[in-house]
Amino acid sequence: MDPIFETQDLWKWFGGTLALSRVSLSLRNPSIVGLVGRNGSGKTTLIGLMVGLLLPTEGIARTLGRATHMLGRTELEQIGYVPDNPVLLHWMTVTQQLDYVASFYPRWDRERERALCGQLELARQVKVSALSAGDLQKLAIVLSICHHPKFIALDEPLSHLDPIVREQFLRFLLDLVAEDGATVVMSSHVLNDVERIVDWVVCLDGGTVVADAALDDLKGEYAEWQIVARNGGLPARFPEAFVLHQDVSSPMARLVVRASEAERMSFESAHHVTVTATPLNLGGMFPYLLKRNVQ
Amino acid sequence: MLLRVDPHSGVPVFRQIVEQIRFHVASGLLAGGDEVPSTRALASDLGVNFMTVSKAYALLEEEGVLERRPGLPSVIAILDRKKAQTSRMDQLRGALQPAATAALQLGVNSKDAAALLRRLIDDPEG
Repeated sequence: MDPIFETQDLWKWFGGTLALSRVSLSLRNPSIVGLVGRNGSGKTTLIGLMVGLLLPTEGIARTLGRATHMLGRTELEQIGYVPDNPVLLHWMTVTQQLDYVASFYPRWDRERERALCGQLELARQVKVSALSAGDLQKLAIVLSICHHPKFIALDEPLSHLDPIVREQFLRFLLDLVAEDGATVVMSSHVLNDVERIVDWVVCLDGGTVVADAALDDLKGEYAEWQIVARNGGLPARFPEAFVLHQDVSSPMARLVVRASEAERMSFESAHHVTVTATPLNLGGMFPYLLKRNVQ
Repeated sequence: MLLRVDPHSGVPVFRQIVEQIRFHVASGLLAGGDEVPSTRALASDLGVNFMTVSKAYALLEEEGVLERRPGLPSVIAILDRKKAQTSRMDQLRGALQPAATAALQLGVNSKDAAALLRRLIDDPEG
C-alpha cells in the first residue's frame, strides 16, 4: 500500500530563507502522527507541503500516492486540513459556513457534523465574525473532517481549546482513526496532548528531521538511570556514547541515556553497579531529541 | 477491567496494559476463562489509541496469557499451577527491585532488609 505521505530529500526555501532541508519521510496508514518541534522548526511548512498548499523547492513530496503539484479531485476529497490561522467567511453564520463547505463534498456526513458540533459545544447561529479564537478553531476542525477524509493534517489544532473541549476532541480523533482508518498528522508544541494519542513521532529541529519513530520505541530507548555502586566507587565520568547527560556523585549517579536493555546489562557488569531505569516520557526526552541535531 | 494507564508516563501504554493484566492474572483477580473487553471497547474506556490495546493483546497472546477466539471475545488462558507460581514470583520480583536498590543506597544489608520485609508481610500494622 502506498504511504499516505512521503518525501525524498525535500528542501524548501522561502526566498533566501531555508525552511526545510533533506527531509525524507514515509507516513503509513492508519496512524496518528505527532509532528513536534520548537517554534520555527518547520512544522507549518511541512504541513503546507503535505496538503499541497506549498510545493518543494527541491525533492519530491507525494500525498495519497500522487506528487503534490498534481493533486486532483480524487485526492483532495480525501484530505482534511486545519490551518494554524483558519480563514473563513466572516459574514456567514456557523451553519451557513458549514452548508457552504458541505456543498463541495458529496460524502459530507451531516450526522458527524451534528455530533461534533455538540461535543465541541459550538453554537451554530452565531456569526463567524463574532466567534472567539477557540470557537473559530472548533469550526475549522468540524469543516475539516465531516467528509470522511483518509488523511487529516492538523496544524496546532488545540492551541485555543480549553482542557474539557481538548479532551473531547482527542477522543473524537481516536474514534476517527478506529472507524475511518484515517491517518492523522497533528502538529503541536503541547507535548502532553501529542503523547496522549499518537503512535508515531516526527520531530523537526531547524528544518531537519531529528526523530521519525514509533513513540513506544522512543520510550523504550530514552531513560533516566539511577546508578548505585555495588562495591567501591564510580568513575568521575562514564565514557559510553549512549550516555546523554550525567551527574556523578560517587557512589551514586544519575544518567540520561539512549540505550537498549542489553546495553544496560553490560553497563551493570562493566562498572559493578546496579541500575534502576525509569523510561522518559516525550517531554523528558524532547531536549535530547533536539541535541542529536547539534552533535 | 480494573486497568489504569498514564499516557504521560515514560512506560509505553501498551506495556502498562500488559503488566497490569499479568498482575491481575497472577493475583487471581482474572481467572482462566474470564472474558476481556474487545480492543475497541478497552481503547475507548482508557481513552487511548486502539492500536495500542491491540499491541498489548498480541503480546499477551504470544506469552500465552490471553487466548484469542475467532468471532468471540478473547479470554484469559488457563495457567498450570507451576506457571502460576512462577508468574507470581516474577511480579513480586518486579515490585521489590526498587526496594533492593534503595537498600543498597541506604547501606541496609540483606539480612535486615529481609527481616523488615517479613515484618511488613506478617504484621502490616506493627
